[in-house]
Amino acid sequence: MTPQSAQYNIKLTGEIISGMTNQTTLESQSSVKNGNEIILRTKGLTKRFGSLVAVNNLNLELRRGEVFGFLGPNGAGKSTTVGMILGLVAPTAGSIELFGKKLDGHSWELLRRVGAIIEEPAFYPYLSGRDNLEVLSRSIGGINRAKIDEVLKRVNLFERAKDRYGTYSMGMKQRLGIASTLLRDPELIILDEPTSGLDPAGTLEVRDLIPELANENRAVFLCSHLLHEVELVCNRVVIIKQGIMIANSTVQELVTRGQLLQIKVNDPVQAMTILESLPWIKSVKRENGYIVVDAPRDSASRVNQALAEQNIFASELLSRNVSLESVFLQLTGGTSGD
Amino acid sequence: MIRLISAELFKLRKRTMTRVLLYILIGIIILLYLLLLAVSNANLPDMGPGMEGIPNLLGLPVALPFAMFILSDFGASLAIVLAASVMGNEYNWRTIRTAVVSSESRFKLLGAKLIAITIFVLFGMLIGLVAGFVMSLFTTAIGGYKYDFSFFTGSYLWHQFLQFWRTFFVLIPYTLLGFMFAIIGRSAMPGIASGIGIMFLERIIATFMFLAGGWIAEVPSYLLYANVQAITSLAGLPDWFGTGMGGGGATSMQWPSVPHAVITLTIYSIVFLFVSFYLFRERDVTG
Repeated sequence: MTPQSAQYNIKLTGEIISGMTNQTTLESQSSVKNGNEIILRTKGLTKRFGSLVAVNNLNLELRRGEVFGFLGPNGAGKSTTVGMILGLVAPTAGSIELFGKKLDGHSWELLRRVGAIIEEPAFYPYLSGRDNLEVLSRSIGGINRAKIDEVLKRVNLFERAKDRYGTYSMGMKQRLGIASTLLRDPELIILDEPTSGLDPAGTLEVRDLIPELANENRAVFLCSHLLHEVELVCNRVVIIKQGIMIANSTVQELVTRGQLLQIKVNDPVQAMTILESLPWIKSVKRENGYIVVDAPRDSASRVNQALAEQNIFASELLSRNVSLESVFLQLTGGTSGD
Repeated sequence: MIRLISAELFKLRKRTMTRVLLYILIGIIILLYLLLLAVSNANLPDMGPGMEGIPNLLGLPVALPFAMFILSDFGASLAIVLAASVMGNEYNWRTIRTAVVSSESRFKLLGAKLIAITIFVLFGMLIGLVAGFVMSLFTTAIGGYKYDFSFFTGSYLWHQFLQFWRTFFVLIPYTLLGFMFAIIGRSAMPGIASGIGIMFLERIIATFMFLAGGWIAEVPSYLLYANVQAITSLAGLPDWFGTGMGGGGATSMQWPSVPHAVITLTIYSIVFLFVSFYLFRERDVTG
């Protein structure tokens, strides 16, 4: 935990809640509720590997129609969480509910309503794309050949469906992975880095596809390192670090919770001293001749007033929006968890 | 379960390795027959004890039991490779997570894999038998032996039918051994290496143990090799072959009784099966 992240506060539905606690207390209170039905709920989900706590007391809620971003540095516990949701990893403590029913490890009827790409698409290299989907359709049951054709067309892989998977480019593998998740017409889709390896056009296609899938009355659980992508497609994000949830909010709330002020003054040294003494200022730094202040939202006038009271007058005062990326880096300490 | 078996059979059917294993089996049978033919035609001054039986091995009556003997020996290695690959490559290709998520249960997934392996092993055995019989027809013609099908009686067929299942029975523990080690090692290679390694090393160790005498000589009776030999020796092949190829020359080794062998091999199979299912059910599938 970095001091920076420990002090980080997130505004959630009118309350200021500490975003970094050992005990995760953030309940999902999303303002984005495209549907009322909770598709996925975890309560106190915990996984320990020996002395390592990979996931610690994680409480999540995902509603129908929502695109949910699940973020965290490498080793934060994202894949372990997904593994637990899919019944691949046994939780040490806590519970998982899918479609309102508790997942007890043998809940095939619940899991068959979930489509997932876990970490990266993995298929049999000696089979063609179509044959790989054929294997899946035989395993799952109730899927006809027309459905295989349909999903192949949807991800623009129909023309190359007879080629061996081993000959596919990374982008084609990703698209086959998405096709495999759509095969069972899932109500919950879990995508782990779905645009990894895709060219710009492919990335755009997938980015357009994700909200489209959510609009088809599904829920999408998206794990991604591409924060810009998450910012564009997700309604809500959860950020975890070292297995602990450190943020749970709508994207809008996260990126507008603070702002960066860019100030030009004639006496920057004194101005920085003044600003650093203000308890509600998170950080002050110098950048290209400007003072850059991380301040709460709509606090530009208060900053200006504080400087003016000490006879320092700003010649320029510009407001810069905080991106999800900067929020993420600030929360996670800007380092990999590996 | 039927769906999962169908998926496993589809994967095996489409896989080149399955066909390659079959070609290897047929190749071994052809090669052994040709070698035996060459030895039987060689004008050796003293063929040694038992060697005079070689021409008999090339004859039609012994064709089927001899083919089954080859299957129980070399076929076991191929069955180990097949079983270890079916399971282990799911880990190697990282498809194990998709396979588990797409299956009704881990128990059924493993069960489907084992049934698919069984079907392919049985199919391989049938092909091996046909190959052996065809080679016998061929060597009979080449060697100038007489075609005589008088041996082809109901009793003969019944005996071969029993021997077919005995051969299958002795393949089971080795197949499950490879399968189990593939699960333990989460890869095909540990299954193949451990399975084949144990199969061959055990023969040498068992020979030394027998030579050591005393209570140590009793130990091989509780290992795989001696019990497998106790079953395969029912084929009625000449003594020289009854000890097994590459058997370390343990010609004077006493095999356990057939009931002892059946019980011991069954216990081994159950243990290998139990460990496989237990580990696969309990362990996290982390890719």
